[in-house]
This record gives sequence, structure tokens and C-alpha cells, in this order.
Amino acid sequence: MLHDAAESRAKGGSIPARAGIGLRFPHHQAVLDAHPAIGWFEIHAENYFAGGSPLTYLEHVRRDYPLSCHGVGLSLGSAGGIDHNHLRRLRDLVTRFEPGLVSEHLSWSVVGGRYLADLLPLPLTGEALDVVCRNIDAVQTCLGRRILVENPSSYLRYRHSTIPEWDFLAAVARNTGCGLLCDVNNIYVSAGNHGWEPSAYLAALDPASIGEIHLAGHAVKDLDDGVRLRIDDHGSRVCPEVWVLYAEALARFAPVPTLVEWDIDVPPLATLLDEAAKAQAVLDRVPDRVGYATAA
Amino acid sequence: MPRLLELQRAMYLSLVELDDREAAPHIVVDGLAPEARLNIYRNTFIGSLTNALRLCYPAIHRLVGAEFFAGATARFIPACPPETACLDDYGEGFAAFLAGFPPAAGFSYLTGVARLEWAVFRALRAPDRPALDPKALAEIDPAEHPLVCFTPHPAVGLVADAAPVDLIWRAVIDRDDAALGAIDLAAGPVWLLVERGLHGVEIIRFEPAAWRFTADLFAGRPIGTTLAVSAPANAAELIAGHLLAGRFAGFELTTFLPTLPACHP
Repeated sequence: MLHDAAESRAKGGSIPARAGIGLRFPHHQAVLDAHPAIGWFEIHAENYFAGGSPLTYLEHVRRDYPLSCHGVGLSLGSAGGIDHNHLRRLRDLVTRFEPGLVSEHLSWSVVGGRYLADLLPLPLTGEALDVVCRNIDAVQTCLGRRILVENPSSYLRYRHSTIPEWDFLAAVARNTGCGLLCDVNNIYVSAGNHGWEPSAYLAALDPASIGEIHLAGHAVKDLDDGVRLRIDDHGSRVCPEVWVLYAEALARFAPVPTLVEWDIDVPPLATLLDEAAKAQAVLDRVPDRVGYATAA
Repeated sequence: MPRLLELQRAMYLSLVELDDREAAPHIVVDGLAPEARLNIYRNTFIGSLTNALRLCYPAIHRLVGAEFFAGATARFIPACPPETACLDDYGEGFAAFLAGFPPAAGFSYLTGVARLEWAVFRALRAPDRPALDPKALAEIDPAEHPLVCFTPHPAVGLVADAAPVDLIWRAVIDRDDAALGAIDLAAGPVWLLVERGLHGVEIIRFEPAAWRFTADLFAGRPIGTTLAVSAPANAAELIAGHLLAGRFAGFELTTFLPTLPACHP
């Protein structure tokens, strides 16, 4: 049923502190047909930069649900600066669909005008901090709104990094006024790969800066030489350890909009809704629920 | 300590050109060789773009099989990495790549099918843009009609090939092995127009003269020049048909009429 759809539109599309799911192409028609009782949807912005039926579907979905716009290609960490053509396309999308949240990653993917199709890790240095802050300023100025920046998952660290990732994120938020998107699965993955303590990472984040949480599944690879790597592939259910860490995050941050991501081997819509229901159950156990989150 | 741009160029060399020498020294070993860590990102780079190409070229993927397709994309992607982070923009050069890909030699229709698939993909995902209102042409002096240069609608494309690539594409997409087996590759060339219809993409066969005339118009040639070099008997009817079907996005008036050869082979 439409439950609080009309209410959502009345609130200008703000994202409620409830569970949402990523809107994927295979589910477009199923969402319109079933009209699931889900708090909101998140899109990958770049999937809607072109024209045709995806935009038509999105128009229909947006009429009934709040929307979050999550970028994967803005490359906030590019030393060469933001691709202004990409930013213009993002601005056009944001203007058209008025998402309640706009987010991107603490990573880079563009160098020399070429897109490397991955969220590549940054060296955590003073120079990189300056670059990221300058690029976020450019984005927030162009969009005329605050964005959220997501902590990355990673499989390597650079020798010349000098700033812990959590301190780097805090400085980014402090210097630019952006919010943070806390990807709990990413913390768990990176902590496993680099020997960090996930709870300490969470404890280092300022609760006031957290505007959204992401949850996803990841793969575990045991390599020949005894090394275990966790790969953030978004291709399975959220693992039990990440659910525990999520509850810990909510206890620290208070309830915030929570997204369940699933990007490869996308399952039936019902499976995603089932994962979102689990997240909602954790949210419901947290006292002192807040109303709506917005990065606008 | 490398500057950020220097490091990012080193990562490009590693991921795209398979040269880890500049990036590896900057990476913490921590139980796993830097080259192995870089390879994780390289696999994602190739894998993500291979998947994007598979979605763009589903018939080619089925025709050649997943292993051959992955082998081709593993060569194509480093040679032609994306220029934008919108993957709907990516893959135009794949048909030309297949034409020069030695393992595909002897399967010349693959290039034609790939060009048709790109036209289909663009028809599906081209920017939404209003079609030219024919009334706009009625407002100009008829004496200036020869000076009109059309801009084709971005959701319309033209493909010509020596093989019946439209039949091949349809049979593969429909997984109709009987239809695919019945296709005569020597049946002669096809002259196709691809466009976004009300219920999906439509592929229309044209007569060669009409197709050539249309190709010249789509290339932005003035009507007067186009009529001079490739005018079929039903030229006026063709232009009217294109206008009514919304195959033009706009037009402008040129200031002179060049006398150039037709823009197609």
C-alpha cells in the first residue's frame, strides 16, 4: 500500500530514518507493480544520466517514495579536480528528482580523463585531504546542498599515508561541512583487511555527522599463502558480524536512514525487502527515534 | 613521497597497462604482495567494464560465448578505457575493435551485429529530447528549404552491412536457434534504420537509395546538396516520413551549398 507515500512527498522527499533498498533495473517493474512498504529507495546516479525508460520508471517511483542519489563516478579524490561535465549531469538529475540525500565516496576513479570503473583508495595525506575538500566544496557549491561522503572499503594501503582513515573522514566533514555516510560493511571489510578494530573506527566518528548507513554482503577469499581477504562485492546477504556492528553503530549514532545494497547477482525484490526488514527490526529496537534526515 | 597526481598516474599504468613498477613501491605489503593487491582492483576494472559491455552487446555475448567475449573485452578495455563515468557512454568502439580482433577473423558479420547492437543501445538510452516539430519548417521561406541542415534525433541510428545482421540479432536475442540456422549470410546487404519506438526499439529495413539519402541528411548535409548527390525518386516523401516519425531533433540554415560527394561509401 502507499502507507506514508503522500506524507513523504509532503515532506519534500526527505529520507526517513527507516530501512531502504537500492533500486536496480531488474526491479523497476516489480516495484511499480507491488508497491512495497519500504521507507525509501536509493539509486546509483550514473545509471540515470542517459535517457529512455530508466528515467520514466524513476519518475513513477519518485512519485511514491523518497529517493536518495548515490554517486559512484564523481571521483572526489582526483588530483585533477572534478569532471565538470559529470557534475553538470549530476546536478541535472538532482534538480529533476529532488532526492532527500546525495552521497559519494571517499575514493578516486578518474585520472587523465579516463575512468577506471572502481572506487580506488586514496593515500591518506595532507595533500589528498586538501584535494578531497576542494572537490567536495566544488560539488556542494554546484549542487547548492550538503552531500554525504562514504567511508571506503579497501584492499591496499599506501606507505606514505599519515592520517588514520577515520581521522581523515572527520577532517573532511569538519573542513567542508559535508555529512558522512557510514558504510558498516565497509568498516568491517577494511578492518579485516588491514587489522583495524571496527568498534574503534565507529567510536572515532562524530555521531552528529552521520546522515546515512549502508549495509551489504561481502565475499571472503582465502588466498594460497594463508591471507584472508574480504571483498566488498555487494553480492550476498549481510553477514551476522555486520549486523552486530550495525546495532553498535545505531547505539552510537541514533537511528539514521539505512540502506541495504545488493549489486551483483541481484536477487528477487522479495529477498532485498527481507534484508531491509531485518535492518528495520534493528532500527525499531533503538529508542528515541528521530524523524527525518536530510542533507539538503 | 609521490604527489597525488603522480600516484594516480602510477595506478593507471598498473590497472590499464599492466605495469605495476611505479605503483607497487608505494603499497604496504602486510602479508600480500603489492602486485596481488593491485590485481584485485584490476580485476574489478576489467570485470565491471566487461559487464557493462555485456549489457550493451548481449547478442555478441551469446554468439561468441562468455569465454571468447571475456577474452575480447580484456583486450578492448585497456585499449579503450572509458572517457566518462557514465557507462551508458561506453562501448562505441567495440565493433571496430572486433573487426581487427584476429580470433574474430572469418566471422565478418560479428562487426555488423555489434554496430547494430550499439545503435539499439543508443536508441534505448539516448538523451530524451523532443523531436523537431514539422511546423517549424513551414515557417521558413520555401526558397530556403535547400539550405536546411537537419540534426538527427539522438535515439535514431543507421546501420548498413553486407550480411542480414537484423535477422541474426533478432534470432539471437529471441534465442531462436532454428531461425538463426535458417539465415543465409549471402542473402545480400541490409540497409537499416534503428529508432526508439513506443514499445521499444524498432529496426526498419530501407531501400539502398533511401538509406543513402537519409544518411546524408543525418550527416547534416543541406537538403539542396543531398538532393544533388543522392536523390531518390521519393525524396520529398522520405523527408516527410522522417519528420512525422520524429527522426530529427532540429535544423539550421546553412549559408552556402557545398558540392560534396555523398558521405557514405
